[in-house]
Amino acid sequence: MNATLKCGNPRKRVILCVDDEENPLMLRKRVLQKAGYHVLTARSGTEGLQIAATEDVDLVLSDYLMPSMNGAEFAARIKALYPQIPVMLLSGVNEIPPNSYLADAFLSKIEGPDNLCQYVAEFLKSKSL
Amino acid sequence: MTVHEPVNILMVDDQPGKLLSYEAILDPLRENLLKANSGRQALEQLLKTDIAVVLMDVSMPDIDGFQLADMIREHPRFQKTAIIFISAVHLSDLDQLKGYERGAVDYVSVPVIPELLRAKVSVFAELYRKTQQLENLNRELERRVAERTEELRESESQFRSLANSIPQLAWMADPGGSISWFNQRWYDYTGSSFEQVRGDGWSSLIHPDDVTRVARGIENSWKLREPWEDTFQIRGKGGNYRWFLSRALPIHDVNGKIVRWFGTNTDITERKQAEEALIKSERLAAMGRLAGIIAHEINNPLEAISNAFYLLRDHPSLDEEARYYSKLAEQELSRVAHITKQTLSFYRESQEPVQVCFSDLLDNIIELQSRRLKLSNIVFEKRFQTQGMIQGYPGELKQVFLNIIANAVQAMPSGGKLRIRLAKSSVRTNGIEGVRVSVYDNGAGIPPEHANRIFEPFFSTKQMKGTGLGLWISKGIIQKYQGTIRFRSLSFQGYAATCFSVFIPASFATKPGDANAAVVA
Repeated sequence: MNATLKCGNPRKRVILCVDDEENPLMLRKRVLQKAGYHVLTARSGTEGLQIAATEDVDLVLSDYLMPSMNGAEFAARIKALYPQIPVMLLSGVNEIPPNSYLADAFLSKIEGPDNLCQYVAEFLKSKSL
Repeated sequence: MTVHEPVNILMVDDQPGKLLSYEAILDPLRENLLKANSGRQALEQLLKTDIAVVLMDVSMPDIDGFQLADMIREHPRFQKTAIIFISAVHLSDLDQLKGYERGAVDYVSVPVIPELLRAKVSVFAELYRKTQQLENLNRELERRVAERTEELRESESQFRSLANSIPQLAWMADPGGSISWFNQRWYDYTGSSFEQVRGDGWSSLIHPDDVTRVARGIENSWKLREPWEDTFQIRGKGGNYRWFLSRALPIHDVNGKIVRWFGTNTDITERKQAEEALIKSERLAAMGRLAGIIAHEINNPLEAISNAFYLLRDHPSLDEEARYYSKLAEQELSRVAHITKQTLSFYRESQEPVQVCFSDLLDNIIELQSRRLKLSNIVFEKRFQTQGMIQGYPGELKQVFLNIIANAVQAMPSGGKLRIRLAKSSVRTNGIEGVRVSVYDNGAGIPPEHANRIFEPFFSTKQMKGTGLGLWISKGIIQKYQGTIRFRSLSFQGYAATCFSVFIPASFATKPGDANAAVVA
């Protein structure tokens, strides 16, 4: 779970984490940082879109259930603007929420930190191939 | 009957001249006048024809008038035949009385006054005619009564055969409510005799929980003369009770008076069981929804806490003891995660169903369990008669069979035999084809008192180890496929055998030629 080296240019992969709740967002950020990623955070879809406009993002990891703009809507906006950025949705429900097909992948929150890191690593690997 | 029907008048005298003069006198009456020259001739006539009035001379050579009257009276047919004596000799009051004692009706003395004789004969002829008419009417009436009785008997017998052919238990009671008749089905079902159940003896067959209410209700109905209805249990001949919907209706005559009560008892046991099952399944579904909501609400903070302990796990500031506590907390958190995962388990990893190969899926589960099989000294036997291809969601199907197989393994902590069979199967009633997976173990077995509860949520026999949701969720998943999950558990002299059998229709199975379909395990 180290940062991937690409073309001999050491650069940490950048993950944009979006969640309306502060504590879970901060802890998720730390877990991913520990796994070697550079993590940007946003407290809403709107804020996430602003960051995506200015930063070089490798992966968007967004909560599904958020006020005003939910994860699926946010994924659709990202995909419309930046089709190359993969989007993963994260949710407290086990059943795949409606419209989540707008994202590239879906993961349940209860899979735990180890699984989250492994899943993210595998996902980024598959996208970089 | 206003028509004048002539009646027979018999005139008896030994002197033909007198007979002729009577004939002349009575002719205007327009009756049939018969003549006899002697008592013997008179008797012959009487036996041959119906005589309304006998007119006779008291003094005749062979049999005199009084003797003849005696003989006539002795015959039952003539006891009421009117007799008029004609006497030439002077009659004292005593003689007249003697005549009446013999049942005679009147006297005419000589010289005969024609008007008087005519008047007397006319009265008796008329009396006879009226009596005849009355008798005819009576006979007609009796005939009609007999006809009606026959009709009633027929309608009664029709009613009984109808009452015996209906599927209900039927009965009839008198207006006061004493039951006087039951149909054959009643006797067939209860195995009772009429003597045991007549009157209010039937109450001994009503379930103890219901009998007071039923008796009070029906008595109230007798009193108020209003229909009655109730639902209660009646004991069958085997001693088991079944539920009946019972109704009683008063039957009125033309004047509105209650002549009897007619009652039926309809067996509603199946309906009642279906209703109870529906209520139960609705209750369970509501519980399931509630459990799902709670589990979902727990998942969000759970992720945060798990992440926090994950970060704490290797934090340099922690000493060994703090690290130990942190590790314990993480272990316990994974249990919480397991519970919410089970509760919300309808985890569908893809939107579209894919082709699932049951033999691969089961092999995969066995591999996961292989370490436990070895540790618990369990012999595994596999009989796969088909690949078992169906359309579905592999994740949830895996969860179902992981549950069932793990239960079987856990039932045999000190060794045993696990057998898994996979075969093609079809539903006998509708011919739907699919696959059947049977999982046998010879572990502890399922006690009969748990049999009805093992598919309920939060029912567990594993105390701390289980969530009590595994089989409930499995059943829910199988039902989504319109499949069935059943089990059978037998135990005999310390040996037990349990088999869980799952049928999943292959109605969405891909066509045989579709070989390129992805196989997901």
